[in-house]
Amino acid sequence: MRTAAAPRTHRQKEIRRHLLLYAGMTPFLFIAVFPIYWMLITAFKQEPDLYRMGNIPFWFNLPPTLKNFETLFYQTNYGYWIVNTLTISAWVALITLVTAVPAGYALARLKLPGAENIGIAIFMTYLVPGIILFLPLSRVVASLGLQDSWWALVVVYPTFTIPFCTWLMMGFFKTVPMEMEEAARVDGCGQLSALVRVVLPVSLPGVLTSVIFAFTLSMQDFLYGLAFVAPGDQKPVPVGVPTELIRGDVFFWGSIMAAALLVGLPVAILYNFFLDRFIQGITGGAGK
Amino acid sequence: MRNLQPILRDHGSVSRRRFLKVTGGAVAGSSLLTMLEARQAPAQLRGTTLRILTWSHFIPAYDVWFDKFSAEWGEKNGVKVRVDHIPHLEIPARMAAEFAAGAGHDIILNNSTILARLYYKTLLDLTDVYDGLGKKYGGWIPAAKSPIEVEGRIYGIPMYYILLPMLWRKDLFEANGLKPPDTWELARVAARTLKPKGSPTGIAFSHCNDANLNWRSLMFSFGATETDASGDHPTIDSKEMREALRFAKALFDEGMTPEVFSWDDASDNRFLASGIASWIHDAISAYRTTESTNPPVFKNTFVGMEPAGPGGKRVSVSAPIVFLAWKFGKNPQATKEYLTHLVDNDKEGMIQSTGYNMPFLNDSAKKPMPIIGADPKLQVLQDFPKIVAFFGYPGPYTPQIQEVALQFVLPDIFTRVARGTSVDDAVKWGSASTAGSSPSTSAHDGTPGG
Amino acid sequence: MTVLPVGDGAEPTTRAATQPAARGRSTRAWWHTNTGRRLTFGYLLLAPAALYVLLLVGIPFLFSLYLALSDASVGDQVSSFVGLGNFRAAWEMDTFRDALRNSIVFLVVAAIFKSVLGTSLAFLLLQNFKGKKLVRALVVIPFTLPITVSVLSWKWMYDSQFSVINWFLHKAGLIGGYGSESWPIWLGQPHLALLACIGVNVWRSFPFSAIVLLAGFTSVPTEVLDAARVDGCSFFQRFRHIVAPMIFPILIIGFLFDTVFTLSDLSVVYVLTQGGPGSATMILPMLAYQIGIQAGSLGRGSAIALMLVPLLFPALFLMLRNLKRRD
Repeated sequence: MRTAAAPRTHRQKEIRRHLLLYAGMTPFLFIAVFPIYWMLITAFKQEPDLYRMGNIPFWFNLPPTLKNFETLFYQTNYGYWIVNTLTISAWVALITLVTAVPAGYALARLKLPGAENIGIAIFMTYLVPGIILFLPLSRVVASLGLQDSWWALVVVYPTFTIPFCTWLMMGFFKTVPMEMEEAARVDGCGQLSALVRVVLPVSLPGVLTSVIFAFTLSMQDFLYGLAFVAPGDQKPVPVGVPTELIRGDVFFWGSIMAAALLVGLPVAILYNFFLDRFIQGITGGAGK
Repeated sequence: MRNLQPILRDHGSVSRRRFLKVTGGAVAGSSLLTMLEARQAPAQLRGTTLRILTWSHFIPAYDVWFDKFSAEWGEKNGVKVRVDHIPHLEIPARMAAEFAAGAGHDIILNNSTILARLYYKTLLDLTDVYDGLGKKYGGWIPAAKSPIEVEGRIYGIPMYYILLPMLWRKDLFEANGLKPPDTWELARVAARTLKPKGSPTGIAFSHCNDANLNWRSLMFSFGATETDASGDHPTIDSKEMREALRFAKALFDEGMTPEVFSWDDASDNRFLASGIASWIHDAISAYRTTESTNPPVFKNTFVGMEPAGPGGKRVSVSAPIVFLAWKFGKNPQATKEYLTHLVDNDKEGMIQSTGYNMPFLNDSAKKPMPIIGADPKLQVLQDFPKIVAFFGYPGPYTPQIQEVALQFVLPDIFTRVARGTSVDDAVKWGSASTAGSSPSTSAHDGTPGG
Repeated sequence: MTVLPVGDGAEPTTRAATQPAARGRSTRAWWHTNTGRRLTFGYLLLAPAALYVLLLVGIPFLFSLYLALSDASVGDQVSSFVGLGNFRAAWEMDTFRDALRNSIVFLVVAAIFKSVLGTSLAFLLLQNFKGKKLVRALVVIPFTLPITVSVLSWKWMYDSQFSVINWFLHKAGLIGGYGSESWPIWLGQPHLALLACIGVNVWRSFPFSAIVLLAGFTSVPTEVLDAARVDGCSFFQRFRHIVAPMIFPILIIGFLFDTVFTLSDLSVVYVLTQGGPGSATMILPMLAYQIGIQAGSLGRGSAIALMLVPLLFPALFLMLRNLKRRD
């Protein structure tokens, strides 16, 4: 509650708070953003511009060009890659949601004998490195008839998104007060509807977190994509860019940067949208 | 981008075609459509399928030609051909996956890392094709057999190899009264003279393919070897090796900057293109990169013969490109015919690669060779087939040699010396490291250091 | 009918409560009892995730264990048992010891930076200020870019000739020009190279740490915090006594996940240095990949890859059990 008696002091406080915050944010912004800015500029640079010692990396020495984007769209399968990436990530997020959320709830709430060990076993699968896993998985993928299709990745990626998201959801569900569930049960809800109608809405931030993590994690893989998907039009972006924009010992830097930005920026915007929703949840009450 | 809506699933054949027309995107217009048609109608009875895995050639136009060429052959013979491209460094992983899956492509290209010996039990025996082509075209060059022969049978068809000649700045040399770098000593003198003037040289002392190739060229030219002719006994420890190492150390100290420790395969390209390098020892991809990004420097860049070692010996260690075929491939007949057809059009491939691909067949190596025979600056490349060698020289390309190569042991020996380890200690470490990779031994007394 | 409590400590009573009932009605099928229903429901919920992971990962893991104990190669995956020979051979390799040491150094240094940066960022993201939406969007970008492309960009940024970082430092007068002694060769000098790789890992992951922390903060009920504030607790007291314990589970999960991910991450070193110069940046996954896949010696590669498992497994197991006990 602000008293009308000292509005100026309050404003000064606000300004000072803002300044402090901006000062605090600046290093982070700089670290995070400076490479992005540089990537942005490079995406529009002509190739000779990159190879001169005296040139300024942060601005154009030769006029900017759209040639890198042209190369990207007309001479590689980038259009396919983007669509593949987004589709794969969406499917993986869906699969993860459908498996991890119930599993997390079961582990958190439903006192199942042996559940503890099952939960730990699920997490332990992270200890198995992908470089070993991809060989037997190759056989699985081939026997499912999915070799060289991006569906292979939809099948394989949940192996590394599910464990984490399960545990994450477990953590979230544990914080839901038991009274809420019990109240719902008393009101006559069965276990399933208690879960759906009461617990889930409250843990929505957790669910959203799981979804965006699953989505992002699907874009962080290279080895599985390389091993299971060879055709150019089936590759996702993380596989397509290093395999077709690096030819022998020639790197097509401008196009590589363009490729990165065109897929990274929309995802960042998506992230921000989700972030806002659950920060809302915290600052709504606990904020200053 | 318009019309992304229809592109949501793998099965929308019509929308895919519309997508192509709308964006105009296709790696190779008609051949891509052919590929797509192959995917759309796998149950078609007419003809069979042939799937080829090859690398992303650094000349994009070559890949375009290759895809078209393959598709045309397919059309003529009623075979659905599909060509996939991945970087050559990733092919071993992909092969391992396909082997584990028992399914995959019919034909796979190997670049530098030739895995014939590793997989020969599961590879198609191509001896008849090899012999036939050899007879037809004047025989294969002597070095051709070593990567692909196992127990007397041939398990791959060599297609071409990539040279790493000298690329030197004639203007800088002439301005300083330097002779062309025909021997390693002359190259060293040039670097020593030009480094203080801002034009050092550079050879990668790092974990990259160029390092593997370049340092081998140097040491073989000095008379050192990595194994004996049988391939079973590592022979790193020799007088000639020590001489080569001493030379390398002097070359580094006098003529290079420490940045070479961080170089990858593309760094020397950039070095040349930036105008700084006095000379580099690299594939002509660097030459072509400079052509497109720095025309003034390009004008003064010349291609030189492999430098001779102190004894006058010249050995140019190159990267071989070989096609292997899986035994579990579903189309051995088409495989053999396709490979034959590809070799029949060897010369066309050389032209399309703008002189990058060097031939394994004696007839194709006859002068004048396409592209490089006509270009006065590139003529010298025609003399390389006589001195070409591959990993494992003078022995065969065994899995042990491959492991040594993939762990970059030889570049590491040179790196240690450049960084200050004594030549003797480095050789000792190198011997232990190359001995330790034989499957029968695991004893190891590597000297830490460097 | 009694409502089934689902919290801790109620189990014995519940069982006691339902057992007589079940016994009394012996004609009732097991899955119709309350316990039965709960268990069925629970296992059904758990099944998809458990099956998916244990089938697609568990079985391959057993396969990799088999590989590690055999002399398999990529071209011959059925081979003979060699016991712990691969592990012994690996242990005797110089490069392996370097890789082990580097992996641990990498993990520890990166973890420290990520915790510090991640925590600070999380707090800042919580605050309300003008332009916060834009800032939040920008700061997460390192994490949202696909790893292969962002590491590639860093490769160019660390280039020995054209490094943006060096250009910047040089213009700021902090280092000499190109060719001088003080021009850092990020990927060429051993210690610098390892730091450079760690730097990329930290840059990519600290937004992740921040987000996990934020996610944790959401789980703290606001009423509790408000009550504490009303009671006169300072910010730090609130944090220490209320917030920290509540977010601890989520924090630990994030931390553990990040640990195993960093330990098994191949991409950064693969793209930047391939383990060089010498073995300055060689880490276990890179070595395992080189030997197991590229050189084809699957048995030894698997042994190297699994080398840390005996160490990590008990540590993780204890931590995760502890976590479960905490509620």
